[in-house]
Amino acid sequence: MTLETTSRAQLTGNETSTDLPDDTTGWAIGTDVGGTFTDLWLRAPSGKSFVCKSPTTADVVTGVINAVHLAAEIAGLSTENMCRRVSRFGHGTTVGLNALLTGRSARVGLVTTQGFGDVLEIGRLRRGTAGLNGLDLGDYFLRGRTAPLVPRNLVVEVTERVNPQGEIVTPLDLGSARRALETLRDEGVEAVAVCLLWATENASHEAAVAELVKEILPDAFVSVSHDIAPSVGEYARASTTAANAALGPVAGHYLVKLETELRTLGMEAPIMMTTNAGGVVPAATLTASPVKGLLSGPASCVVAGQSLGKTLNQPNVLTLDVGGTSFDVGVVVNGAPLLRDEVTFGGADMRVPSVDIASIGAGGGSIAAVTDGILTVGPRSAGATPGPVCYGKGGTEPTTTDADLVLGVLDPDSFGSGGIRLDVDAASRALEEKIGKPLGLNAQESARAVRELFDSAMADLLRSVTIERGHDPREFTLVAGGGSGPSHAWAMCRELGLDGFVVPATATAQSAFGAGTSDLRTTASRTGYIRLSPGLEPDETHALTLCAALEDARDRALAAIPDPESSTLQYTAAVRYRGQAHHLDVGLDAAPDAATLSKFLARFESEYELLFGKGAGFREAGFEILSVRATAALASAAPGASTAGEAFEFRGVRGVIFDDPAAPDTTTVYGCSWPAADQSVAGPCLIQLPGCVVVVPPGGTATTDAHGAIHVKVGN
Amino acid sequence: MNTTLDAQRVNTVTDPVIAQVVRSRLVAITDQMRLALQAVSGSPTVTEASDFFTGLYLPDGSFATMGHQVTFEAPPVGALIRHLLDSGRDLKDGDRIIGNDPFVGALHQNDLQMCAPLFVDGELVAWAGVMAHETDIGGMDFASWSPKAKEIWQEGLRIPAVKLVDRGELREDVLDMILEATRLPAQVGLDIRAFIATLNVAGERLTELCRRYGKNVVQTAMATMVDDSEATLRRRLLELPDGVVHTRDFLEHDGHSNELYVVDLVLTKQDDSLIFDFSGSSGQAAGFVNCSRAGLIGGVAGALIPTLGFGIPWNDGLLRPTEIVAPDGLICTALPPAPVGSATVETVWVVSNVVSAALNRLLAATPKFAHRAQAVNSGTMATFNLSGRNQFGEKFGLHLMDPLAGGFGAFMAHDGQDAAGPINTPCPSIADVEVNEQGTPLVYLYRRLAKDTGGAGRRRGGLGAEVALTISVNEAEALVMTHGAEVPNSAGLSGGLPGGVIRQSLAQGILHNSGQTAILAGALSGITEDAPGFENLGSKPGAFPLTSSDVFAVTWQGGGGMGDPLDRNPEELLEDIRRDVVSTAAARDTYGVVLTSSTSGRVTGWDETGTSQLRRALRAARLGKAPEMVKESCLELDSALPPAGLTTGESWLPLSDRLRAIQAVDETWRVETVDGAVLSNGSTRWREGAHAFALELPPRVGSTLHEKLTVTGWACPLTGSLLAVDIHEKASSPFHDLELNISAGSRAAELTFQA
Repeated sequence: MTLETTSRAQLTGNETSTDLPDDTTGWAIGTDVGGTFTDLWLRAPSGKSFVCKSPTTADVVTGVINAVHLAAEIAGLSTENMCRRVSRFGHGTTVGLNALLTGRSARVGLVTTQGFGDVLEIGRLRRGTAGLNGLDLGDYFLRGRTAPLVPRNLVVEVTERVNPQGEIVTPLDLGSARRALETLRDEGVEAVAVCLLWATENASHEAAVAELVKEILPDAFVSVSHDIAPSVGEYARASTTAANAALGPVAGHYLVKLETELRTLGMEAPIMMTTNAGGVVPAATLTASPVKGLLSGPASCVVAGQSLGKTLNQPNVLTLDVGGTSFDVGVVVNGAPLLRDEVTFGGADMRVPSVDIASIGAGGGSIAAVTDGILTVGPRSAGATPGPVCYGKGGTEPTTTDADLVLGVLDPDSFGSGGIRLDVDAASRALEEKIGKPLGLNAQESARAVRELFDSAMADLLRSVTIERGHDPREFTLVAGGGSGPSHAWAMCRELGLDGFVVPATATAQSAFGAGTSDLRTTASRTGYIRLSPGLEPDETHALTLCAALEDARDRALAAIPDPESSTLQYTAAVRYRGQAHHLDVGLDAAPDAATLSKFLARFESEYELLFGKGAGFREAGFEILSVRATAALASAAPGASTAGEAFEFRGVRGVIFDDPAAPDTTTVYGCSWPAADQSVAGPCLIQLPGCVVVVPPGGTATTDAHGAIHVKVGN
Repeated sequence: MNTTLDAQRVNTVTDPVIAQVVRSRLVAITDQMRLALQAVSGSPTVTEASDFFTGLYLPDGSFATMGHQVTFEAPPVGALIRHLLDSGRDLKDGDRIIGNDPFVGALHQNDLQMCAPLFVDGELVAWAGVMAHETDIGGMDFASWSPKAKEIWQEGLRIPAVKLVDRGELREDVLDMILEATRLPAQVGLDIRAFIATLNVAGERLTELCRRYGKNVVQTAMATMVDDSEATLRRRLLELPDGVVHTRDFLEHDGHSNELYVVDLVLTKQDDSLIFDFSGSSGQAAGFVNCSRAGLIGGVAGALIPTLGFGIPWNDGLLRPTEIVAPDGLICTALPPAPVGSATVETVWVVSNVVSAALNRLLAATPKFAHRAQAVNSGTMATFNLSGRNQFGEKFGLHLMDPLAGGFGAFMAHDGQDAAGPINTPCPSIADVEVNEQGTPLVYLYRRLAKDTGGAGRRRGGLGAEVALTISVNEAEALVMTHGAEVPNSAGLSGGLPGGVIRQSLAQGILHNSGQTAILAGALSGITEDAPGFENLGSKPGAFPLTSSDVFAVTWQGGGGMGDPLDRNPEELLEDIRRDVVSTAAARDTYGVVLTSSTSGRVTGWDETGTSQLRRALRAARLGKAPEMVKESCLELDSALPPAGLTTGESWLPLSDRLRAIQAVDETWRVETVDGAVLSNGSTRWREGAHAFALELPPRVGSTLHEKLTVTGWACPLTGSLLAVDIHEKASSPFHDLELNISAGSRAAELTFQA
């Protein structure tokens, strides 16, 4: 958990103006709006960079503008003078997410095919258990906490029907559509979502309804499902479309305001928004489809790890981000983050291509407790208020941050640099009282127990995203970010048998770094159903079906790229054995024919066996191809090496408990804000960076590279 | 460095931290088993509906972990393991045993189960188990359950316990034999591969865990998990009052004739243990609705685990405080040759209904837990199977999972959720309409919530859903059966009404013109199962041909209601009307709310005076009196408030919305309504003094009641407020459902509130 408590800023980097000569252009800025802080990362063409943080404001925009002013101050320039030099402004925000979470989104009406208006109410029965995890899933009293995205009285049905082949079975009854929309108008909706059955195969009815919306509700924001989430499965498609409609008016307003204010400051660079799928798109693109940016913060964090991997020439990267309440893991394989088609958000399944992020409710603020003699850590969190016990802001339940403090990992005086002194005694007492007493442990033993459990839960998640998916974690570079990631990564390396990890200089602002550096990237999918009954081989008809789908996906992916000629394209298709519910995304040629399709199926089978074991494949079942996806990317300039940095400063020696609570290791403490290259220190030691502490265990070493990254070898 | 640490760890078998780390890993391994199974399986029952089970077992067959999967499937694999242990079978590392015998441990033959003895260094450390419902495993009819069956041998392949994998080598001959027996070899073949993958994942991960922490540590952790859950449940049981609870439910039609069968439960709760006695149930049936003893155990576990196991890790420990009493040869302890094909959706399900009803009566009488007392959830699962050739020309067979979308029973503290699924399914899921239409010949005309199916009450039961279907191929064979078309199984609690019953109907040839265009154009303009041309199919029409000009429509049961419907807050009822989940007719007739509307007929609000008068009239009618002759009823139902008839020094225990057991200063007990009517003295047999009347259920619930059944309502003699609704055989009288132990120093006495 990041421990910033000041109203102002955390600074890292080369803070003096002389390092950033003001006669250059081509500066890049990345910003990310989190719940508490708005992070900003800045890099000059010389390769010099820094990160700063400003509190997030209620209107969001002000927080971003404040961060820009702050960055200019650090750079020693007037805001206007700095803004003129910026040629890229990357931006990510959870503003949409928060709007949806807190119900501040627009009043939405949903239009469905007659007979299916309860699509969100029934929610495939999945809505009832949404948001429940672990033991709570076994407590039926807790079910049904998530209301549908659109209440039943704002759902209207129109007479029409299309079949799975896209043939119109019942023509759209315009009269029924008109009446339905008039009902919504009378209810005062601000946005309309249209999701008709099989609109993926024939969009004409949705398009016609959208036209009518323009006439009957001229001011309403409209989302149509074949555009927002063109995939088979009406529940997720309707949820995604409804969420998009709910966010539309909010996001549109926000982006216009942000752009206006930045222009006023003299920023002429285009505003690029981060997306769920990792990468950025021009802001205007997201105005129409804000749902694609819903989870952009965590995605940017993975993209930042991907970018670091590229710099280090490491194609396989595990990114871990330990924040205050959650532990997020992303997986980059062969230089690309793993994607998924669907995410669950706000109790609904959303069909938006997203970076596949595995997450558990464990972070620096997670509360440790003993119930019936069993120690647990999380998912309850002390949050920012009251926060961990050591903050002295009224927290009484020990958290993992309290445990780290008692173990000696955190410095009561200098951690947080916001002037707050962490209360070791209070943390000790709470640990002893709440954990130690019921388990018969002292404070130090309790702290070690909490850390051990916390680390093992994180290691379980790392295992599930690697070993359980057929990847050997030892072939990956572990990039540790977030407030607590760099201090726990060593233990995860032990658990998984990795020899080390990397901490980027931007560890506590990885999403902002990702927003500032990631490629321009768009993703579009298209349905294309092919069923190969047992024993059948793909033929030219199948290839034609896929080619048509690929062409459509490609056109849509390229539409948002300013320079389609220079972009690269990649294609995948979703394929499975006939009858399965889970599919794999397997790479596909741009214009497949029958022969390449056979090869494609062979690739599927080998990837399948990699995942589920040799002999798991079952060709006898036949195959199904469901859809294709095109990804267009326009590479951004690679970051240059940083020409300056600071040497590690010796700050003292203290006891830190690694394994034996009774015998702390004597541990050197270093400090630094942006590490200079080619340093090397031996463990056990701690390296304090602003907002986080890198823990190097006994027997380990830490070295630094030209980009300010710290490479820790744990000495397994 | 690791080695030193690990050496330390191995020596610390009792280290609470290591124990917890190992526990978490065991739970994680179980989840990885689930993922492996779901990823590889080809059965929609597994991939979409979570109708399966994965778990790790102690060497003696007790399950130590399970996923949040179908709860009545928790005991069966353990029974298979115990069977292997009892038979002294020689088991080797790498063996994988398959079985599906209902007289060994399966619920019916569709439940294909596999287990693996997990050896580490030659020692049996644990077992891994997996089980899933297969759509077809052979037998006289598709789906392996046939209303025509008279003997279990007609219901498909029966595998007692056979090595499918022998020391790591797949026995292709055995696999061939199984795949030859099923009509769906591709699906079953994928699933068996999924089973093997699942068991392999468990074996590898458990071995790693033992290597890391030591066998002893892992084994101790597993055994302790079970012991801890048992201890926690026993502590929880000590918080409930002691006594005897009697509940009863019915199922109609055994496939051959429309007989009515009784599942009768007398639950004795004493200290920290539970005795479930089913001796009063009907003898075994001629048809496939029976269950074997394995099914009975499953049915009890299915309801007990979620009802009492909230917040406790689910494992065998939850079943240890339980004893089941039932002689052989009952409908719930059937012996060969009795067919048991539809056991899971018939007798097993009804067993869960009576267990849920009984345990929730105890929760309702426990102040600490009363808020979570719940009426019965979706009391049946109406089966729809379809087979033939699909639109791709392939032979196909499907087992529709949509019928999971029944309503949740109302809780004391809040309404039941709409289309939430049954008690036995913690994480229910059904496929999208589009997904079903893409892969099968099903064509949906609607899938929606069914108005007025939620059991009426102060807290309303959740609505069941309903679908209408035709097909996109010329003809296929449908297999349709259920119970609960003539029995309202989703019973209410505390005066709440049952949820709506199943309605299955067929309109033959109403989609005249060939081609989908005409079919749906006609059909979609608001077809309902009440429309002309629809014929009520009753509960078990069995197999019949379905053509592309026919429409099959079915409505599933809603959840039971909680408390007198006349106690529902009119504002909440107005919201029900606004959401169109309760009809205006039901608002008036069942809830006694007088709505106001605009000139255009739009409901605008409710009329306070009119509602108050109507409610009084409805209460009076229950007592057969004129409205002015009945007392105004108490509207304040807070259980912590002293009831009307309390005198100084007395204490009270709420039994339900309106019933209070009161302990006088001299330690004698009586039961009173909150309105002050004394119903019983010296016992909690409160029906002795309540007013019994013939209660007419709302049309969605009672219009098709089985000819042998009737309904008795119980009202407060002073106010006419509804206290309970009993569905019972005409030939027998209602019985007392709750007899608490109220002797001096009893738990009931300890639980009372003081003024």
